[in-house]
Amino acid sequence: MSVLRPFKANDLFRFNNINSDVWTETYGIPFYLTYLQRWSDLCFTQESPRGRLQGYILGKAEGAQTEWHGHITAVSVAPEYRRLSLARNMCQRLEFASDGIYKGYFVDLYVRCNNALAIKMYEGMGYSVYRRVREYYGNLGVGKDGRDEEDAFDMRKCLSRDVAQRSIRSNGRDMIVSAHDVS
Amino acid sequence: MSKAALERQIRPIYDALDHGSNKSAINACNKVLKKYNNNTLVKALKALALTRSQKVEEALVLCDEILATVVTDDSTLSVMTHVLKGLARNSDMVAMFDNAFKQQPQSEELGAQTFFAHVRTGNWKSCQQVATRMHKQFQEDRYVYWAVTGAILQANDLGTPPNIRTLLYKLAHRHVTSCPTPSYMAVDRFHLHLIILQELQLWDEANTLLESDVGKSICSASLVCNETRREIWRKRGLYKDEGERAQEKIKNNDRNWLEFVSVIDAAFASVQGSDVSEEGKSECFENIAKTRDFLTKIAEVDGSNNRSASLAFLELEKNAVSHGISSDENTLVDSMENYFSQFGNKACCFEDLQPCVDLGADAKSRWISFLASQESSFATMGDLQRVINVRKLQRISLTASELSTDKELCLASTYIKEYMAGLELGSSLPVTELQPADDLAILVGHAFVSLWTMTKDESYLYNAAVVLEFALAKSRMSFQIRLLLVRIYRLLGASSLALDHYRAINIKQVQNDTLSHFILTRASTFSLSATGDLTYPSECIESSQIYVSNSQDVRFFTLLCFQDGYPPQIPEFVSFDDRLENSLQRDVVKLEHVRMRMTHEPINSDLIDMELIELKFVFDRSFANDQTLMFGNSTGQGWLWYFIKIYIRAFQHASDLDDIVEEKLLIGDRPKKSPEPEVQLPLRERLAIRKPEEAAELTADELQLMEWATALSDWLEPYHNYTRPPPAVVLAEANRQNELRTGLPLRGVDLKALNGDAHANGHAKKDEEAPPVKEPPQLVAQFFEHMHARFVQLQQSQCLPSDLLHVATLTQEAFLLFAVESHRFKTASVVKIHKLGALVQFLKDVRSKAYTVLKTMSNDLLKMSEVAGSAERRKSFVESCKPITDFPRLHHDFVLSVAKNVGESRKKVLEGVSKGMVKICTNYGQ
Repeated sequence: MSVLRPFKANDLFRFNNINSDVWTETYGIPFYLTYLQRWSDLCFTQESPRGRLQGYILGKAEGAQTEWHGHITAVSVAPEYRRLSLARNMCQRLEFASDGIYKGYFVDLYVRCNNALAIKMYEGMGYSVYRRVREYYGNLGVGKDGRDEEDAFDMRKCLSRDVAQRSIRSNGRDMIVSAHDVS
Repeated sequence: MSKAALERQIRPIYDALDHGSNKSAINACNKVLKKYNNNTLVKALKALALTRSQKVEEALVLCDEILATVVTDDSTLSVMTHVLKGLARNSDMVAMFDNAFKQQPQSEELGAQTFFAHVRTGNWKSCQQVATRMHKQFQEDRYVYWAVTGAILQANDLGTPPNIRTLLYKLAHRHVTSCPTPSYMAVDRFHLHLIILQELQLWDEANTLLESDVGKSICSASLVCNETRREIWRKRGLYKDEGERAQEKIKNNDRNWLEFVSVIDAAFASVQGSDVSEEGKSECFENIAKTRDFLTKIAEVDGSNNRSASLAFLELEKNAVSHGISSDENTLVDSMENYFSQFGNKACCFEDLQPCVDLGADAKSRWISFLASQESSFATMGDLQRVINVRKLQRISLTASELSTDKELCLASTYIKEYMAGLELGSSLPVTELQPADDLAILVGHAFVSLWTMTKDESYLYNAAVVLEFALAKSRMSFQIRLLLVRIYRLLGASSLALDHYRAINIKQVQNDTLSHFILTRASTFSLSATGDLTYPSECIESSQIYVSNSQDVRFFTLLCFQDGYPPQIPEFVSFDDRLENSLQRDVVKLEHVRMRMTHEPINSDLIDMELIELKFVFDRSFANDQTLMFGNSTGQGWLWYFIKIYIRAFQHASDLDDIVEEKLLIGDRPKKSPEPEVQLPLRERLAIRKPEEAAELTADELQLMEWATALSDWLEPYHNYTRPPPAVVLAEANRQNELRTGLPLRGVDLKALNGDAHANGHAKKDEEAPPVKEPPQLVAQFFEHMHARFVQLQQSQCLPSDLLHVATLTQEAFLLFAVESHRFKTASVVKIHKLGALVQFLKDVRSKAYTVLKTMSNDLLKMSEVAGSAERRKSFVESCKPITDFPRLHHDFVLSVAKNVGESRKKVLEGVSKGMVKICTNYGQ
């Protein structure tokens, strides 16, 4: 239903329908080029059969020893292409590459604690909360949801290399760390 | 003093530079140089500090001294890289590294630095050569791939002729195949190899590579390689094999659309090409039937979870009709109906079906009645989406003959009613969410804009604005609603409101390149910069920020790619860099900025010389993208070319910088020239080119301006050429200024060689006779009256404030261009020496006519501004919104508030432009 292909530099000229969404940040050009230069095999986009960009995912590989993992930096889908499982497909592809190419132990991502919809979606995809990071999203200030809006859940999903499933835990929501403790 | 002691003295220089205290860095350098007057590192550091404190001339002298010797030590090279980068002297930097590497060919580090210097300047040919040399010397595989990438980039360069391109690919091929480690050892190298084979059509070799176990496994894991593999198979005509392979993948749950495309293409493989045999047709017929079965099965399994198979089914039927295999469109309509029934509740359904709606009469009426039979329900989000899809699909099927004012009004009313109903569904959503009914409000906007197009009655635009403002209050984050409002408010001349909405979208970074045209196209129409309000000029500067450091950034990352060994990204980055560097938007904004700058800065040689040089650089580029409409005409390359020609010519006349002077005075590298043949012509010839397709991008009034400016330039050119001081005089003056400023003479300017009489005063008399003074051509003399007549005619007819402002600001622009063209003849001594008194009299006549016209226009605009903000105007605004005020939620007060904002915004711009004109009249009227 859509073309899954690597994200390319020229896609930056075409992602307005995705990036004009309030929750999607538009970074400086060097940000995107860093990802494309270092982790081109962890950055994908989905294009509609009619040639419009629908969404993209940017990821990287980081960490040392058993913390070596794939990280989802940004995943965003344009409003008109939501509810088509596009985010799920892109995440799967990133997990596939983190597992096969990078041989990571897990894949992780950050999500606002009040973003129930997204959390549910990630849980459906096999992610679970590993810890709560205080004031991770400091830029907005405390909103109507109080700390939930500022804090982030660090959510993780094990890859095949983590046979003993050591990178996840069941009581993640209660493990609270401050933003300084995470990279 | 020992080496250690010297180092101890150099450390503080670095520290001072790091802390940005350039002055103390210079002092420290001078101190060391007293003892070691030949130390190149210290000299380089001093040059850096000088460059950073804008003392370019002194820095250049030092640079020349340093570059005269061959620099090979790392520290000096690295400092010089910064200095030359700061001075934009990339070619010197390349030469510096080239020399160093030649001197020490055994230094791998120097080789790499030289290679990178060529990457920075985009000189791919040299990249290839340096890398080849490095490979010979150091026998490292990665240098082979550097050379290969260099060759490919050179081949892909626009200026490379096709035969050389092939030659370069062959060279790349030889490099790859002669490399001791096979390409499949790394995915990126494998990919590069495939690209080369594809270009050279070496299918057998490609086949061996792709059919090997390693090749298969790479393609199954790497999306890029698989893409190239697919292209190769297609080019070889292996549609059937590719189709079978894709079917397998689909059966194994791969739902990448590319696989479905392969399946469909396989079905039509036998009818490709121009002469299709009957056999081919019947084979295709059978294939279609088989493919139908296959897709139906997949669609059944997927259900509504995934639409790929159903969409592919649609595509299959559509192609069957377009290839003439099936003459019955009913099957296509069947599948469209099925598709809609199944996926009508998804937003993308409209886009999916859009390419299919171009049907024959019978099929179309069947499709239309199917859409009409859909019941409108607002029980769930899915139902609402269905309604929206139906309305959109109906709308794109409307033909011009079906459209009447009544019909559009009726449609608008339906859309509003349904929008209000749909709004209930999203009432509990948080403010950051988009309302699911938004598209219906946008449809209302479209209907009213279409009514305005049909009738030219601006009250329809009021209706559109009110509904969209209401929708925006419900869905604050909708950028689409805002963009539509920006367009409408600009038409209505409510430019400050347009700007507010534009800013609220929060367009950043690279988005400026693709979206700023919404607000900056022909922005000089609304700019109040003549009164000192610099809102628009600063918007231009902000939106152009991304171009400032972009090229350096991209090249830096290209360089990193080489270091890390990721060649496949490199052509991408280079193409990205090219697109940004040659962005049409960048230069349209640049020109718009010049147009505004002239209204608020004094017209003197600083402005004229600088803009002349910059616009000439722009004129040497070629462009990639296209832009938006305003006044019904796009501001594309044609528009830009026409306006640039006006300005370059006017500035050229007014400037003393002829080519010789420019060559001497301009520091740093010139931008790359576009390889297009037209760009290679002499500037004079290029400036005279007029093309109808380019002219088509101008409005009628802009064309008038163009013709007038051409006539004016033709008339005055001989006098300018005669009066312009000779290069030697101009350079002598520049030299004098420079000596005053820096105590140093200009470098590289040998005044004596240029002209023996450089010491003569500035207005050297020429030997030849002064050209006889001619009357101004009629076009020049009557232009301003003509524009006035046009202005009056617009006032009396139904026209938008933006149209009126367009004419007024173009007249003002002509007046300013006239000021530029007559600038030289302002100086009494020039006129006296060259006996141009009669010319000055003619100029005076034209100027005074123009002055009167501008004054009248200014008065009229001022009167209009008072009306625009009045209570009556608000009242009539509200009254003309009758078509929508029946809806209780669009109540009187809300409409009034929009009316008030629009009125105030219009008042502001009309008043501002009027006052600006007065100011310009005062400055240049005498």
